[in-house]
This record gives sequence, C-alpha cells and structure tokens, in this order.
Amino acid sequence: MTAILRTESGRLLRGTLTLTGLLVVLSAFFLVVFPSIQEEAALFEEVYPEYILALLGVEELHTIEGFLGGYIFPFVWVLLAGIYFAYVSAGMISRDVRTRRMDLTLSSAVSRESVVLQKIGALWVPLVALSLALLGTLLLGVSLLGESVNPIALAMVHLLGVPYLLVCAGIGLVFSVVLDRVETAQAAALGLVFVLWLVDGLAQLNPDFEWVGTVTPSRYYDPTAILVHEEYALLDAGLLLAVFLVLVGLATAYFVRRDL
Amino acid sequence: MSGQTAAREAEPTADTATIRLDGLTKQYGDVMANDAVSFAVEPGEIFGYLGPNGAGKTTTIRLLLGLLKPTSGTATVLGADIRDRRALTRAKANVGYLPDTLGFEERLTGRQVLEYFARLRGDERRDELLELFRPPLDKPVETYSHGNRRMLGIVQAFMHDPDLVIMDEPTSGLDPLKQDRLHRFLEDERDAGTTIFFSSHVLSEVQRVCDRVGIIRDGELVALETIEELLERGGKDVRVQLAGPVDPDQFVTTEMIDVELVDRTARFTYTGESIELLEHLVQYDVTDVDIGDPQLDEVFKHYYGTDSQEIG
Repeated sequence: MTAILRTESGRLLRGTLTLTGLLVVLSAFFLVVFPSIQEEAALFEEVYPEYILALLGVEELHTIEGFLGGYIFPFVWVLLAGIYFAYVSAGMISRDVRTRRMDLTLSSAVSRESVVLQKIGALWVPLVALSLALLGTLLLGVSLLGESVNPIALAMVHLLGVPYLLVCAGIGLVFSVVLDRVETAQAAALGLVFVLWLVDGLAQLNPDFEWVGTVTPSRYYDPTAILVHEEYALLDAGLLLAVFLVLVGLATAYFVRRDL
Repeated sequence: MSGQTAAREAEPTADTATIRLDGLTKQYGDVMANDAVSFAVEPGEIFGYLGPNGAGKTTTIRLLLGLLKPTSGTATVLGADIRDRRALTRAKANVGYLPDTLGFEERLTGRQVLEYFARLRGDERRDELLELFRPPLDKPVETYSHGNRRMLGIVQAFMHDPDLVIMDEPTSGLDPLKQDRLHRFLEDERDAGTTIFFSSHVLSEVQRVCDRVGIIRDGELVALETIEELLERGGKDVRVQLAGPVDPDQFVTTEMIDVELVDRTARFTYTGESIELLEHLVQYDVTDVDIGDPQLDEVFKHYYGTDSQEIG
C-alpha cells in the first residue's frame, strides 16, 4: 500500500527541482561574495564586543565555517527551506479535501492514518534532493574558493537540519487538516514559520527576552555551533524530532475524526 | 429489466443486504441533510436513489463511504458498520465509487491516474472497461471534457471488480449515446451479480435502468418502491400547439391531469402510454408537440403531496 506515497513523491518532484535550483544558485551567490566580505568581516569582529557577535549568532565570520553557519544556513536552510516545507505540507491534505480527490482516495481500502503518513512520508523527496544538492554545491564552491571545510561537519549540518525541517512540515500538516481553505492553510503555515524564525532572531538580541526564543524550533538547530565548533547537539535534534512526531500525531488524530 | 423485483418485496434480513440504512441522520446546524433515512439495498440489484438537487443524496453516499460521520443512526456497507472505521476500510476493498465531482490529479494523464488507482485497489478489469469507455489516456486530465472525465471515473469505479458500486449522478456530462452504453453496461453488471447504488435526479433514467427506487426529498425518504410502481405514478410533461381552438371536453382525456388549455396551447401531465396519446392527438390539427419528462418536483407534488410526511 504505497500508491499514495509514490504519487505524492512524484507530485513533489517538480516543486523540489525548482526550489533546489533556486537555493543552489542563491548559495553560489553567497559563496561568490565571501572573499570580498572576508576582510570586512574580520574588521567587524574586531570592532564589536564579543557578546554582541555571540548574540547575533555570528562567530568567526571571516572563516568559511563561520560564514556558512552564520550566513548561508540561517537564511537558505532555516528560513527558505523551512518555509517551503511548511507551505508544501499545508497543501497536502487541504488541497485533496478541497478538490474532492480525497473522496476517491478514501473510497479505497486505505485508512485515513495511512493517507496522512504516506503524504508526509513523501517529503523524503525534497529532503534528499535539497540536502544532496546543497552539500554538493557547498563542497564544490568551498574548494573553488581555495578554502576547506570539514566534510563531516558539513554533512552533520544537513543531517541535524532534517528534524528542524520536519517540525516546519508538521506545523504545515496541522494547518492542512484543521483549515478548509488551501490558501489559508498555506498562508498560516508559512506565516507562522516566518514569525517563529523572526522571534528567535529578535529574542537573541535582547538577553531579557531570550527565553521567548525557547519555543521556536530554530533555537534547537545551530549551524554555527556545528560548523565552527563541531558541536553536534543530538539531544536538540531528538527534541525536534519528538515535536514533529507529536504534530503528526495531533494532525492524524484530528483528521480521522473530522467530516470531509 | 425489473423482473427480479417481485421477489424482493419481503423485508430482507440484516445479513443479506448489501447496504442497510438504519435511521441514518446527518444534521448541519438546523438543516437535516439526512433525516432518519432507512432502507436496504439487496445483492445484485440496481437501486435508484432519486431526488432533486440538494435533497441529500450525496450526503447519504458520503455517510456510507465514511467520509462523514452520522449525527445519529447508522448503516452497514457489505456488512461493515460505517461507525467502525477499520471494518469499513476493509469492506471498501470491494466497493467502487463514482462521485459527482471527480477529483483527479489534474497534471497526470488518464493512464497515470488509472495506474494510481490500480496500485491502490487492483485492476483486474481495466482493459476490458477501456474498450467500452475510452477516455484519451495519454492526455493530462486537466484537458478532459466532462464526458471524458466521467468515463475515466467509470473505469476507476469498476476496474477492481467490486461487489458494490456507488454512483452519484453517473451520467452527468455523458452524451446520450454513452449514457445508453453505461445503462446497458450496468444491466450486464447487475446480471453478473454486482450491486449498483445509482443516485440521480433524472426520473426517466432511474425508470430506465433501476430495479427499485428510493425517493429522497429534503433529507427524508418519501417513497421506496419497485420501478413498476413508479412507472404507474410517473407521467409525461406534454405541451401541444394546435392550429385552431378545440373543445376542452373532447380534447381532455382521463389520463391527462393538471391540464392548462389557453388559447391554442395545451399543457398537461399525461399518465397513460405515449402511443395512446399520439393516437389521440392525430385527430386534431396539431402544429407542434413536446413530450418530456416531468420535473421531479412536479412528480412529488402530484404523487406525494407537498408534505413529505405522508409517505414513509
């Protein structure tokens, strides 16, 4: 019973290819400008006190590791890819219900639980494609710049980013089963992920409000720590994974009980 | 086509019915979409579910498929209680469904759509069905006409050779030729033992193809009868244009009801045989005749009164 998984995977292919191409180009642009901002970054780090840089999540910006962890990943991975996963998941159930495609699917001997799980399972397509393409681009780009980066750390920054992206997908999935309109569900999911990202960033700027950031998923995924210090926060990743499972559980429990 | 109906007069037992509704009720706020609907569909019959648009036919079907939850009452489909999700899911392996709104993956070709359903349910009969109903399989579904979508829908509903097929307005969008083909196909399926639940708002279609009929209006089942009984009650909507004035006492026969004779135009519902009406009309100087199916609402008004409580 993998018909839905297969079809859904195929359906995600087109969007995944577009997004992958976009993010590869964007990452390449970032790498191109790295040599020119390298000197400024060093100056920046001398001028500003240590704690401000730490709060901004910017460390060792003049090194390639710091640049990847402080610039490329927060933007390309945490924000853009996060929004994509939330957006795509928010359309998964709501669109099928809206177009009555769900009626035909559920007229077969397939449970609603299975439908949700197969649909969310299809996210392996963008997860694998984005990770491999970005990993390849960064490895190639870094070597072209005459720099070097620990490939294990680079692989880990992708791997530990997966639970973060899954939480974004989980947020989208919950909106997808609760809200009837596709556009509303997608806008809500996209908006929430963006706001969470913003809250995390803003909270880090003010020590008094830093605790607010603890409810944001991006707090539990720190590319700079992974790349610069090779600290792999497995516990945080596990926490994100648990949150993802809870969100899928909630969405499924709601979906099997609702009228279509 | 309805020779088997006499044997089904007796109330069947719970074990044998393919579908059994028992006080099935669905309420949306103040609106009773289905109000304590009870009837049974027997194996190997074409059961017509007749009612005007908005009467609650689709609600019943979506309740039977477990897409909606009943407010009260219940139903069984192939022996599975619709409130028992697991049992119903298992039973659906032997159910085909042709919805009124066909939600296909628009970008896929017809062939890819059928591949999807084949993986989901099986496709023992796909090739055979595609010889009868021929949607353009290599084109994306988004380019399909209504008729082609409907044909693709018919193929997916029957391709896994189900014991029960639930069809919601199956002929909408089909040209008359293909409607006939579908009707004949359904009769063959019925003879081969498949049970068909056939929802429609077209009286003549139900009369033509169904063995028994349940009539629903405003969420309530107002009649449950064999097709012979319905035919007796049915009538034709007739409009006659005459060359000159006629004597009403002579022109109007006992089979005509609700007669409106204004100037040189006569409008009435004819309850007899069409051939007798034509024989009657040739005695007059007729310039135009229009014989059509009566509106369902008219039928209800005549035979069931405005208060649907009358008949249960």
